[in-house]
Amino acid sequence: MKTIKSPIFIILLTVLLTNITILDAQEKKDTVTSIVPTISFSYLNLSNDSIVLTANLFVKKDQGVFAIQNAVIEFIAKGGNESKKIGQAITDDEGNAIIKVYAKTGLPLDKEGKSIFTAKFSTKGKYLSASESISAKQAKLSVNFSKVDSVRYILVTATQVDSKGMIKPIGKIPVTINVPRLFTPLKIGEITLEEDGTGKFEYPGNIVGDSVGNIIVIAKIEENDLFGNVQGQSSISWGIPKQYYLAEMPTRELWTPIAPLWMIVTLITMLTGVWAHYIYAIIQLVFIKRSSRPKKL
Amino acid sequence: MEQSASKEALLQKFAPQIEKTSFLASIWIIFLLCIIGVGVYAFICQVTQGHIVTGMRDNVVWGIYIVNFIFFMGMSYAGAIISGALHLFRTEWRKPIIRMAEYLAIISLLIGPGYILLCIGRLDRLYYLALFGRIQSPITWDVIAISTDIFGCLIFLYLSILRDIANLRDFKELKVPQWRKKLYSFLSLGYTGTPEQEKRLRRATDIMAAMVIAIAIIVYSVLAWIFSVTLQPGWHSTIFGPYFVIAAVYSGTGVLILTMYVFRKAYHLEHFVTRKHFVAMGVVMVVLAALFGYFTFSDYLTKWYGSEKNDESLIKILFSQYYWSFIFSNYIGVLVPLLVVGIPKLRTIPNITFSALIVVVALWFNRYLIVIPTLESPYLPIQDSRPEYLLYSGTWVEYALMAAGVALFCLLFTLASKFVPVINVSEMSDAPRDQREEGLFNTEESLL
Repeated sequence: MKTIKSPIFIILLTVLLTNITILDAQEKKDTVTSIVPTISFSYLNLSNDSIVLTANLFVKKDQGVFAIQNAVIEFIAKGGNESKKIGQAITDDEGNAIIKVYAKTGLPLDKEGKSIFTAKFSTKGKYLSASESISAKQAKLSVNFSKVDSVRYILVTATQVDSKGMIKPIGKIPVTINVPRLFTPLKIGEITLEEDGTGKFEYPGNIVGDSVGNIIVIAKIEENDLFGNVQGQSSISWGIPKQYYLAEMPTRELWTPIAPLWMIVTLITMLTGVWAHYIYAIIQLVFIKRSSRPKKL
Repeated sequence: MEQSASKEALLQKFAPQIEKTSFLASIWIIFLLCIIGVGVYAFICQVTQGHIVTGMRDNVVWGIYIVNFIFFMGMSYAGAIISGALHLFRTEWRKPIIRMAEYLAIISLLIGPGYILLCIGRLDRLYYLALFGRIQSPITWDVIAISTDIFGCLIFLYLSILRDIANLRDFKELKVPQWRKKLYSFLSLGYTGTPEQEKRLRRATDIMAAMVIAIAIIVYSVLAWIFSVTLQPGWHSTIFGPYFVIAAVYSGTGVLILTMYVFRKAYHLEHFVTRKHFVAMGVVMVVLAALFGYFTFSDYLTKWYGSEKNDESLIKILFSQYYWSFIFSNYIGVLVPLLVVGIPKLRTIPNITFSALIVVVALWFNRYLIVIPTLESPYLPIQDSRPEYLLYSGTWVEYALMAAGVALFCLLFTLASKFVPVINVSEMSDAPRDQREEGLFNTEESLL
């Protein structure tokens, strides 16, 4: 039969080489010299008069968003003509730099009682500088509980501090009521506060707490133009005690002490069958060896 | 034992391969040892510096090592299944190639598990597996299965070469060192070919041939279950067991054809390993190509049509990031043997060998695409988003150890062929008697 020198093999070889080239190209490193990072900045005012400032430093690439670690972020507060550095932090593995400041330490305020907070990253290596600002007025949310004729209420009070340091109620503002769960808080209701800065929400009664029924209730003002994020919380034993159930038939979990019976029986049966045949073959070899010895007369 | 004339001639033909190592063969062995040396250096780097020198991270915890493990184990099971089946079917054309299949089975089986040891950290705690191993774990199933398989394949290989060892012992003109003669004498167990010895040997070989087929199927299915019992996208499939077995035999057939080609050229076996053998193995490869294509299509079709979010995302990655690898492994790797062996005019030895090479490389990529993209698309969002955590890329250490594994495979094959002839001399020389054997599945060779 004639040998055919088909062009198909040249095509296939080309495809193969193309493939290798593409794989090689995947490994080549990014050659960008300067990178523009971005800061995502958030403000959270807690009920203990503390403010948590979180700056997330990252870069956007074609493959997605990548955090920048070990970068120094400066936090600055400004009010009127006064500007004050309130701290600095180093970004963690996820690019987060977090500081906590206390309102009592005397943050600069403008005429309306607001402060402008700035998170600033200075140029370092191939990364260019970046900054982000957020303005907010100090506020406070407090959570209390009351019971009227077996009906249980969650009471929320919101107050603010003006430029003179006077405490005033915050009225006509939406507040969400939440309880913490495994990953994120579970929203159980929403109310709008009265003019006097108070509001009440009827407790649903079907919330699961810890093993003795304790629950934490969190009230939140979220993404407000004037106050930013404000959060207050309190705990009470109104929850349903958590029940821990044991699996009825543990079978293959890491903590089961022994394998299921069917598995042990199958394994032993199979191994016995296989090794019995091995032994049979070896016995045949032994007989071959014995038969080679000269027989005694 | 009396040497028949044809046997004498065959032994004289193969004696130089056993007695001497040519200059080219020496260069070849030194070259392989150099590659293994680089692998040893890479291994030392890995042990001293830790797995940070590999491309594996918290997210993509399996890389090229596992791909190579699956690949070598697949070749081993293919060797076992092919040699076992050829023996049981008593096909006449098996004689010149069955020994290569047997060598393929055991040599791959000795190298494959080594990659598991390279993949896991803290080798000093390896004995914990024996002390605290849990039968519920598929990893334990694999350890038991592979160790059982190694014993089975060793016994089968020993039974298969026993007659040739006895022939070498009795071949007076063989010029080998005294220690090798003693070794042949010891290993031959005093076999002289008496009717009783022959009967016992045939019985044991038949039993072990059937066993190695059964064990190969079970062991490779267990390997597939390590993947499929998880809920990972791309792995959680009921057909993974048979799919792995088919893929293993398919790639192993390709490696066997390559081996036939190399030994045919190296030892001038043109009169023994003929076009007929290549076509016969080519037909086996075509049948397996069709089955492999069918299983692959079935697996991906059901995943794609089911539109499960993570499966969909995986298929999207395969058709974008790994486009050429996917096309090569699942389309070209199936179509090339179908065309080359399917069209009679293309059925030449170089063409069949080239298509076998395509199959082997394609199947390596197939295993890569099974392991890596799935680990790059986990169910839970990745907590640490550094690029090396998101995407896997093999390092020089991994590629060096991969090359060392391939070099060791070639070296052991070379050394094995220098210990016992790579062609089964006993079976080649007693064809008429062999045809009268009562095998389990006597067939006519005209089938192919």
